[in-house]
Amino acid sequence: MRYRKIAGAAALLTAATLSVTAVTAAQAAPAATPCGASAMVKETLPNGTTWQLCWRINDKAGLVLDHVFVATKRYPEQVQVLDSIRLAQLNVPYDTGDTEYNDLTAIGLGSYGLETITGDDCKGGSVRQGSDGGGDPQVRDVLCVSAEPRGLAYRLHEYDWDETTEEQTEKVYSQEGHDLVLRTISKLGWYEYVTEYRLHDDGQISARLGATGDLAPSEYSTADNGWPLGKEAKDYSTMHYHNAFWRVDFNIAGKGGEKVEQFDTTTSGRGSMAAALTTTHKTLGTEGTFTKANQRFWRLVSPTSKNADGHQRSYELALGASDKYEGHPETKPDVTFSQKNLCEKWASDNAADPECPLDIKTVVDFVKDKEKLADPVMWVRVGFHHVPRDEDQSPMPMHWQGFDLVPRDFTEMNPLTPAGREGANGNTSDDGSQG
Amino acid sequence: MEDRYRKWGWGLGIATVTAVTSFGVASWQANAAPSTPSTPGTTSAANTAEQPRVSDPSRVPEAAAGTGSDPLTGSEVDKARAIALTPELAANATDVTGKAGPEYLAADLDTDGTGREAELYFYDYKTGKLHKQVVDLATGKLARSFAATGMQPPASEQEAKVALDLLIADPLSADFKTAYQKATGEQLTGTDGLVPTAHIYTAKPADRGASQCGTSRCVQLIVKTGDGHFINVTDLIVDLSGRKIARLK
Repeated sequence: MRYRKIAGAAALLTAATLSVTAVTAAQAAPAATPCGASAMVKETLPNGTTWQLCWRINDKAGLVLDHVFVATKRYPEQVQVLDSIRLAQLNVPYDTGDTEYNDLTAIGLGSYGLETITGDDCKGGSVRQGSDGGGDPQVRDVLCVSAEPRGLAYRLHEYDWDETTEEQTEKVYSQEGHDLVLRTISKLGWYEYVTEYRLHDDGQISARLGATGDLAPSEYSTADNGWPLGKEAKDYSTMHYHNAFWRVDFNIAGKGGEKVEQFDTTTSGRGSMAAALTTTHKTLGTEGTFTKANQRFWRLVSPTSKNADGHQRSYELALGASDKYEGHPETKPDVTFSQKNLCEKWASDNAADPECPLDIKTVVDFVKDKEKLADPVMWVRVGFHHVPRDEDQSPMPMHWQGFDLVPRDFTEMNPLTPAGREGANGNTSDDGSQG
Repeated sequence: MEDRYRKWGWGLGIATVTAVTSFGVASWQANAAPSTPSTPGTTSAANTAEQPRVSDPSRVPEAAAGTGSDPLTGSEVDKARAIALTPELAANATDVTGKAGPEYLAADLDTDGTGREAELYFYDYKTGKLHKQVVDLATGKLARSFAATGMQPPASEQEAKVALDLLIADPLSADFKTAYQKATGEQLTGTDGLVPTAHIYTAKPADRGASQCGTSRCVQLIVKTGDGHFINVTDLIVDLSGRKIARLK
């Protein structure tokens, strides 16, 4: 939405001018110094994929990643994926309606809310020191960086015919994958939150929030909105929500200006054997809030950056399980696309900057004038309705909520394709028949 | 981690402190190449059961100033605070205790500009205004100033402590004192050892009991006792502007 004051607009113009000049350099290599060495993570995973990014702690958002680049063994050129990603709100309303916390804007995941990494918090990883983002910033052990196996990345049992020996040959391609994992921990009262980003060696980015610690010690209600904990059925621990928002700002190949597309697949009739399905898509040209539907997804497409097959590079939003909190208008949509505006920082409770309007409070306000999407920001909401159980005490087993960003045509083949499968791009069947 | 490096990272057995340090420094240059540190003497296939390792840079003292999107350093914040606290603000505003000078809340890196700027936030209890002072760290000058009422960022640690003092001194804290005694087995005699966590409270239209909050600066407290119990007093609202306690109905 458009309401930035003059100073902000001038700054943006300058930034835009600079970014144009920076593009040429960015294509060859990441901008020389998006941040200093202490704030940079650059790691190569066993399959040869290198992720590079800058990190810092914001007093409200906690962990912020920016200037996120990926390169793979097959495609060694570093290509930018994200301008930045961070949490944008965490609403914790209790089902009684008597308590609600806005954990980012009313207390903050950084500053004194940020825990120092200890114990098994970073087992096998590297603990990085950095500022906790407080008003009187303290340099502490706050970030864990680790590489973690993620199971089978792919498997293919290939049969071939060797013309010279006239014998069948076979080969099994079986490869383990890994994630580069970045993790911080925040303690707000009895709850402890784990902010985690998993950068996969195949280009996928998974963002998730874990909750552990303890249940609220004195939030007890009735059977209507609680679950009996302790002996018999006397004390009903109150059900509640963890409704999280993330702010995701893409900058594919450093070019920005992504288009937002929505794809929908519907049953359109019958084939000779089964239902026939048709997939259509539309470009979302203006700001708006959107909800999940069966067989629907969104992607952010670079209008200018293409892979080697001439396909536009994009990333797809893959939403998983998510409960919808119906207590606020802004917690109903699953995703909001807004035109980038520096006054739009928090998905709710946004009005906390004297430089910005007082009445732009939530993602719903961000998009109400339906401005054209020239530089889209994606606000992803994922909710978890927590019905307490006996096992939640104590400490509470970690529960997770989050989403994935999946590369779609970022590279013309799987970036982990082994040498033996290099030719397997497109329709390679001899007779051209489908199968 | 240093032990691990001595054992795993350096197959040559030169496990001196110097080697460990130089690895940390060198890793910033070295890890640009797509080489994964591997355990010497084994094939990568044999390593798959183990967690692969990432670089573990050596600890370096915080630089005086950051670059690019680096977090604000301690020195940058100190410098910016001194510039942001103008003589006028220092003389006219008051903090949560009623003393002259505004309540200092937070410092953020301004990421939209071309150079590094620090945004400092102060609250003036006299006028109920939030002040945002933007300091250009390169020139050391106050670049822009903004102020508005009705904006309530998270509380400072000083505000949380004052809120606890106000709560304990108020008759409405009787329930809190009872809960304290139940949890700890002791009578509450003061705030020593208590750790308050303050959540900003802003009244929504349907809320009853503290409708001034939002215009006024109010918090809800979660209090941790010296022996680790949490005492929830979220039905009580501490109005730091009015220095009074209200109960939500």
